[in-house]
Amino acid sequence: ATPAKRYAMVIDTRKCVGCHACSVSCKTENDVPLGETRSWVEYIEKGDFPEVRRSFLPRLCNQCEKPQCVSVCPTGATYKRKEDGIVVIDSNVCIGCKYCVQACPYGMRFINPTTGAADKCDFCLHRVENGLVPACVNTCQGKARIFGDLNDPDSVVSKAVRANALTVLRPEMGTGPMVFYIDADHTDARDAARLGTYVRIETNRRQQERV
Amino acid sequence: MLNRRNFFKLSAASAAAGVAGTMTLKQAKALPAWNGGKDFSHKTGRQRKAVPSACLQCVTRCPNIAYVEDGRVVKIEGQPNSIRSEGVMCAKGQGGVNQPNDPDRVLYPLRRVGARGEGKWKRVSWDEALGEVTARLQKLRDAGTPEKFMFHYGRMKASTSKMVGEFLKTFGTGTIGNHTSICEGGKWVAQEYTWGAHYDSWDFDNTRYVLNFGSNVLEAGTNHIPTSHRLIRAITDRNVKLVTFDVRLSNTAAKSKEWVPVKPGADLAVVLAMCNVVMNEDLYKGDGEAFLQYCKATAKHDATTAEKIASLKAHFAPYTPQWAAKISAVPAETIARIAREFATTHPACVISYRGAIAHYNGHDTERAIQTLAAITGNIDNPGGRCKAVGPKWHYPKGISEKPKARKLDILDGPKGAAVSPNHHMSHNVLKMIKDGSNGRPDIYMTYMYTPVYANGEVQENIDILKDETLVPFFVSVNPFYDESAALADLILPEPTYTERWDWEDMVSPTQVAEFYIRQPAIKPLGDCRDFATVACDLAERLGTPLGFKTKEEFVRLSCEKTPEVAAVGGFEYMKAQGVYHDPKAKPRYHSYKVEVSPAAYQKDTVVYDPQSGVYWDWKKVHVVSREEALKKGYTHTKHAYKGYVGHRVGDKVYSGFKPDKVNTSGYFEIYSSIMEDKGLAPLPTWVGVPEHENMGADDMMLTTYKVATQIHSRSQNCKFLTEVNHDNPAWINPKDAQRRGIKDGDKVKITSPVGGIETEAKVTPAVNIGVVAISHHFGHWQYGRYASGHKAPEGRDDDPDLQRIWWKDDRGVHPNWMIANSPDPINGELRWMDTVVQVRKA
Amino acid sequence: MHELHWGLPVILYLFLGGLGAGAGAVSASVLLRSGGGDRPGSGFDIARWGALIAPFPVIVGTGMIVFELGSFQAGNWFRFVNLFKVINLSPMSIGTWLLSLFILVSLAYAYTFFMKDPRPGDARHSLRKMLAWAMVPLGVGVALYTGILLGALPARPFWNSPILALLFLVSALSTGVAAILLARAIFREATHHQEVARSTYLMTSSDLLLIAFEIAVVFLFIMYAHLTIGNTEAAVAVILGGRLTSLFWLGFVALGLAIPAAIELKYVIPTLLYQKQYVMPRSIEIAVCTLVLIGGFMLRYIVVVAGQITGPVGI
Ligand SMILES: Nc1nc2c(c(=O)[nH]1)N[C@H]1C(S)=C(S)[C@@H](COP(=O)(O)OP(=O)(O)OC[C@H]3O[C@@H](n4cnc5c(=O)[nH]c(N)nc54)[C@H](O)[C@@H]3O)O[C@H]1N2
Ligand SMILES: Nc1nc2c(c(=O)[nH]1)N[C@H]1C(S)=C(S)[C@@H](COP(=O)(O)OP(=O)(O)OC[C@H]3O[C@@H](n4cnc5c(=O)[nH]c(N)nc54)[C@H](O)[C@@H]3O)O[C@H]1N2
Ligand code: SF4
Ligand code: SF4
Ligand code: SF4
Ligand code: SF4
Ligand code: SF4
Ligand SMILES: [Mo]
Repeated sequence: ATPAKRYAMVIDTRKCVGCHACSVSCKTENDVPLGETRSWVEYIEKGDFPEVRRSFLPRLCNQCEKPQCVSVCPTGATYKRKEDGIVVIDSNVCIGCKYCVQACPYGMRFINPTTGAADKCDFCLHRVENGLVPACVNTCQGKARIFGDLNDPDSVVSKAVRANALTVLRPEMGTGPMVFYIDADHTDARDAARLGTYVRIETNRRQQERV
Repeated sequence: MLNRRNFFKLSAASAAAGVAGTMTLKQAKALPAWNGGKDFSHKTGRQRKAVPSACLQCVTRCPNIAYVEDGRVVKIEGQPNSIRSEGVMCAKGQGGVNQPNDPDRVLYPLRRVGARGEGKWKRVSWDEALGEVTARLQKLRDAGTPEKFMFHYGRMKASTSKMVGEFLKTFGTGTIGNHTSICEGGKWVAQEYTWGAHYDSWDFDNTRYVLNFGSNVLEAGTNHIPTSHRLIRAITDRNVKLVTFDVRLSNTAAKSKEWVPVKPGADLAVVLAMCNVVMNEDLYKGDGEAFLQYCKATAKHDATTAEKIASLKAHFAPYTPQWAAKISAVPAETIARIAREFATTHPACVISYRGAIAHYNGHDTERAIQTLAAITGNIDNPGGRCKAVGPKWHYPKGISEKPKARKLDILDGPKGAAVSPNHHMSHNVLKMIKDGSNGRPDIYMTYMYTPVYANGEVQENIDILKDETLVPFFVSVNPFYDESAALADLILPEPTYTERWDWEDMVSPTQVAEFYIRQPAIKPLGDCRDFATVACDLAERLGTPLGFKTKEEFVRLSCEKTPEVAAVGGFEYMKAQGVYHDPKAKPRYHSYKVEVSPAAYQKDTVVYDPQSGVYWDWKKVHVVSREEALKKGYTHTKHAYKGYVGHRVGDKVYSGFKPDKVNTSGYFEIYSSIMEDKGLAPLPTWVGVPEHENMGADDMMLTTYKVATQIHSRSQNCKFLTEVNHDNPAWINPKDAQRRGIKDGDKVKITSPVGGIETEAKVTPAVNIGVVAISHHFGHWQYGRYASGHKAPEGRDDDPDLQRIWWKDDRGVHPNWMIANSPDPINGELRWMDTVVQVRKA
Repeated sequence: MHELHWGLPVILYLFLGGLGAGAGAVSASVLLRSGGGDRPGSGFDIARWGALIAPFPVIVGTGMIVFELGSFQAGNWFRFVNLFKVINLSPMSIGTWLLSLFILVSLAYAYTFFMKDPRPGDARHSLRKMLAWAMVPLGVGVALYTGILLGALPARPFWNSPILALLFLVSALSTGVAAILLARAIFREATHHQEVARSTYLMTSSDLLLIAFEIAVVFLFIMYAHLTIGNTEAAVAVILGGRLTSLFWLGFVALGLAIPAAIELKYVIPTLLYQKQYVMPRSIEIAVCTLVLIGGFMLRYIVVVAGQITGPVGI
């Protein structure tokens, strides 16, 4: 048997230009219906004129090490694959109860209107299984997305993990995300009131509030 | 959407893929982005058919790979073997998959039945459609007025442009318009005046500093993907400093080390002041001084470097940073500091685009920017602002017997509106038709161009095109039912770019030429026909066949005729690989320093013009004799540039900066004798935007821009793109908003002397004070349901996403209703960014 | 605005499930408390009403939730059976089995009362008693489980508290009692029976107790949530000064708790303190019970919505 893999992604936000090539490639790759998104890019604009900044935060399923979505699933439709750690949904088993949708602390899940099953980013399993990088990684304009196997010390992702200061989203949730960020802006809309400055978060999707 | 059953199939598929699968996996380990031209269906796990082709969502025309499943284009990816794109692709390119599958596509020739613009159509056969066009063309030719056929194109490039060009020439009309003056024509003309030809390539792979005036290179730009991904790499991996002057915080500005909010139209002042600092503080010393040898900086072409320096010092002396600060609202210290940084970091690249040039003073802004690059030694050098390098295709020329073209003088705007509209004045064509004093075309045919929507003064465009007395017969060649096609008499449906052939030739940011082709991923849907092929058909119907019959044949012949391509296997190689570049080719820099062989400049028909320093072939420009040529001189002979051979610098003859539109001298002309001849300032000189100089206390300056996920007007029915971006609120600074009692999200009324719109305000500090910024992509009233909510004639309902459009109430408002079609007085570029408006709460 | 993935069907399900479970548990415990209901004042009548009510709201509620299933909406009508193909530690899986069991047992339990003249000591007496022993833990379990279902999610800080399960339990019992009293008030003959008055008094005073307890739990819920920092504090802001504040205070606290409690108090106090004969006009009885039921619904509504329109702070 081949040794187990642990797929992970590092997103170097310094290289992200907010171009949405990833969002769109994800839609075409996975036929994601309008209104739902597996992958999106948030714009975080803040400051006061003329000291204004805008940074970009690409979002996708974290393929958590301790995925809440898996532990709440009553049918076992969603599970974390032993062979590579990807959290997947079996759309033939899922009943669409939306419990996992509620459970994901990152708002990554939705019910796909065509299948009636829960859906989310699966690291493009069908590509990865065939030795290709995910669609969003392949197209990434800034080459900001680095993908690979953390169990392989020579993989680009292992190297990136070793060489950089990393953060994950909402670490306090204890989910153990496998999507890591370099230089991410963790500013939240709620910080605006506290800081007394202008902060605008745009999610560029139907759910206009960040989840 | 995995399910267990598929999932097993999937694993089986990968096992079957065997060696290939493992191979790419290893590559995946080494390369973060690389798909090797492969893709797999997420539904069945099967490998999809891959067709190497080329994108045409935007003018950049990146090589791509289209994937086909069950006869449908399902996916488009970057071409991993392209040296230009290095396999990455932008959102628009990705969204291109929506184009062939657009449910509102026009699939059959349509003939208007109701009144013009009423929206009533009937399907006609190609035979009927072309029969009518042929009859009308024949009539014009018989009457000896072929010029009454006007062909007006937008994004027509490469092989299509050559084929259609052959057809038009064979027919005999010279009334051929383009869209360049609403695009970047002004920048081109300014470059033609300085280094002879247009297009600058930015060598980000080797640069150490990037200074940006009004280019949104990370979101737009005519060589977008090739340059943008290199720039990101430069600023993160090599810590290259990027400084952006923009009137708003574009994403490019956001990724810059420094965003300098500049007053619209004031870049010229800033650049002149930077030139002042460079000259005044002797920062030109070194590479800049060395390059001056190849520059013309005084009236004399053979002035010494010391004379040139003296001339420039004197000229720029009044343009102090303090002076520029008053005009541009950029602090003098900032201007001086950035000028010093730029001049002392070598190599450095100054870039510019429409933000800098789509102004009243755009011409001199670009000339000043060229000057800044020149005096710091950053012209055509590694890491600098380079001359474009693209592939040189050879192609069949058609029949040699062509009538002398006749043309209506309606392409360049009213007499005197612009001094040198080298690329015409497309935004004034309809006005000229309305005016009628230079004649009117009987047939107005547009190709990949939407005069109604893309120009300013939308209402007037509509009124003119609707009027059958002004425009008797209007043919739109179009895969889509856009706002202009809606006013046509005949729509000739072209397949989308995923269903077409072409050879392509966009420039390379690596200074190494890349040959590539576009080939159909699928057969054209419905009964669409490539217009270049249709043009061959028309020529044949008119009794003057071109010698080739289809685009495919033309591309094949071109592959065979082009030595580089033929050598590696010609057409078959290109079909299989899509791209080719010579792996041994060296990047081309310092092209102006190539010495011309004595045989070439000592030819009988070549004379030396001591006034300009140019060797030129008088025979090529139809001058009758050597004596005549010597007497008239190079500069004052019409089209003498066509005979340009080289120019003398000291005791050497160099190829120099070869002109291709005006009689420049082969020198890099900071000082332009042609400008002087025309009574204009020969050196880049300050001139303000008149409207901006007489603004009322409550007036604001309107500017427009592009977003990363949309291309002009033509991507809004791409559902995946429009889902991300579908509206264009007016950006307004909190200071300006507060004064007008406007809050974020409020409805506002914006009016200009030309028209007004009601739209939504986005109150943000990301825009300069006094500026309203509105992107131009939105506010469609045709084009299909994703774009406007309106179904195109014969639109289909088989796309379930049509039920899921969630931005129905959020489609934005087009700003061009209130932008005037007024030109840069020198080069004719539409002054997109000069409009003065009033903004108030609605 | 965050999306409401769970809407009215789920709210009704939580409400009806709680109500039925509460009615069942109350019925069974009343029955058992009196050793099977053969002593006087045993409230056999109460037990009977509870037993007859219990299964139906639960069945209807469970039926409702099927409409909320994505698979059902997409046309896979019977995909929900997948729920019964596995048992795992998901609260929903446990809940599914618990609910199924409850429905079966409560139907059987109801059956024991479903005869011509059910009396303590009749033919189904021992079966009834046996089932009653199962009904108490099952009813409490189902009532608790609805709170655990929501409370298990750290991603929903408004829900993510053990107090929520307790609150749902108390509310379930209270709505269960209210349902029993309401049913009896509506269907009994107008005669003022000593026996009836006595059991009504007992039930009303226990309901009062439950409401008091509920108020205490709500107080704890808010206090803890408010005193903490971060996610939970931000989430409860939605009822303390946010989009659901007035609904919470007027719709739930006032209408569903305070007013019925006050009315009940008015009628219970004389009996309690001065041993007066307990009389509550039927109309008041119906009104109070209705208010309690409305309050129970409001609670589910507010909690379900509040949980979904709030989320973790920060990113
Ligand atoms: N995504 C996308 N890419 C495209 C296109 C597209 O439609 N969409 N179109 C293609 C075409 S045809 C072209 S010509 C290019 C155009 O490429 P660009 O010229 O780079 O793009 P624009 O958005 O037209 O203008 C650039 C910037 O100028 C700024 N600006 C406006 N006024 C001023 C000013 O007075 N001074 C300065 N310094 N800045 C100013 C605007 O805010 C804007 O950010 O893009 C090409 N690429
Ligand atoms: N306010 C404002 N206005 C602007 C700009 C701006 O920045 N602000 N930008 C300007 C610039 S830079 C430019 S270049 C122009 C662009 O203006 P245009 O050249 O007119 O370009 P598009 O609007 O992209 O497309 C024109 C039409 O081509 C048709 N079309 C699309 N694909 C095909 C095809 O494959 N074949 C054929 N035959 N037709 C096709 C579509 O129906 C579309 O309506 O707009 C200019 N207008
Ligand atoms: S494709 Fe890459 S650069 Fe573009 S938005 Fe996505 S992560 Fe950022
Ligand atoms: S991000 Fe959400 S959906 Fe993805 S694994 Fe983690 S909990 Fe599950
Ligand atoms: S929606 Fe599907 S995957 Fe999610 S918890 Fe329910 S059954 Fe599991
Ligand atoms: S890995 Fe695949 S599914 Fe996940 S965000 Fe990227 S493209 Fe979408
Ligand atoms: S830059 Fe994007 S839209 Fe333009 S040609 Fe390249 S991939 Fe296509
Ligand atoms: Mo353009």
